[in-house]
Amino acid sequence: MTADWPEGEPVQVPWRVLADYRCFGCSPHNDTGLRLTFRRTGDGISCRLTFDRAFESYPGVVHGGIVSTVCDEIMGNLLVLRTGLSVCTTTLRTRYVAPVLVGREYLCVARTQVRAADPSPYRAQAEVLLRNGTTAVTAVGQYLPMTTQQARSRMDLTDTESALVERELARISNHRKGEPGA
Amino acid sequence: MPEVADETTVADGITDTVTAIVVREIGAVDGPDVDLSTLDGVDSVKVLRVVATVERIYDIELEDEEVFAFHTIGDVVDAVRSALADREAAP
Repeated sequence: MTADWPEGEPVQVPWRVLADYRCFGCSPHNDTGLRLTFRRTGDGISCRLTFDRAFESYPGVVHGGIVSTVCDEIMGNLLVLRTGLSVCTTTLRTRYVAPVLVGREYLCVARTQVRAADPSPYRAQAEVLLRNGTTAVTAVGQYLPMTTQQARSRMDLTDTESALVERELARISNHRKGEPGA
Repeated sequence: MPEVADETTVADGITDTVTAIVVREIGAVDGPDVDLSTLDGVDSVKVLRVVATVERIYDIELEDEEVFAFHTIGDVVDAVRSALADREAAP
């Protein structure tokens, strides 16, 4: 059986406003990174995954830490897009159901019930699916939102870069307010 | 269905849900007390798929110590009930 992967429109992460951001998970400017790109999927977001041997653990098997990173990355970005706030991971729990194989195509889907006004910590779930729809990996993460001041103190940003990110997060937040259930 | 389900109704619902997941991932099982490890073709991956699905549906996290001690559908149902009760009791 081959499941159709429901994927909607592409989603841009807010960090794209920084010309040289190097996020290991989602930056197109990091040559050694995962270069994940996201799409809306249902009430969450998803990304397609195919790993080469650079990310290998046992022969032919993708390193579990890499898969865990993917789950963290997609859950964190989903919460940022949902709340318009930067978040940092406080807990990440991954359940490896079956090995993720080199060269095989997977879909990672993240979802959350969190809305912008909810109290923290925020919680999200992620799942890595095989093409036939079965689950390879599941993950649950908890995240703390950061105020602009906290983000400014924890990241290496210039005033200009900080203003750019802040403006983009505000745009996301305002956009979300117009959506049902925001 | 009553507005507030009593404990038995909740347990029956969990049993039905877990049984449906087991049937999908492992195959037909003749009751909640059957030792799943005695069934043909059952391995730890299939049991983990059941566990992962249960965790996702109920939004709970089961401890590995209990997961790898599961023998029956009833064991899984008890773990789900306990996790849901813990969540209800959390501040």
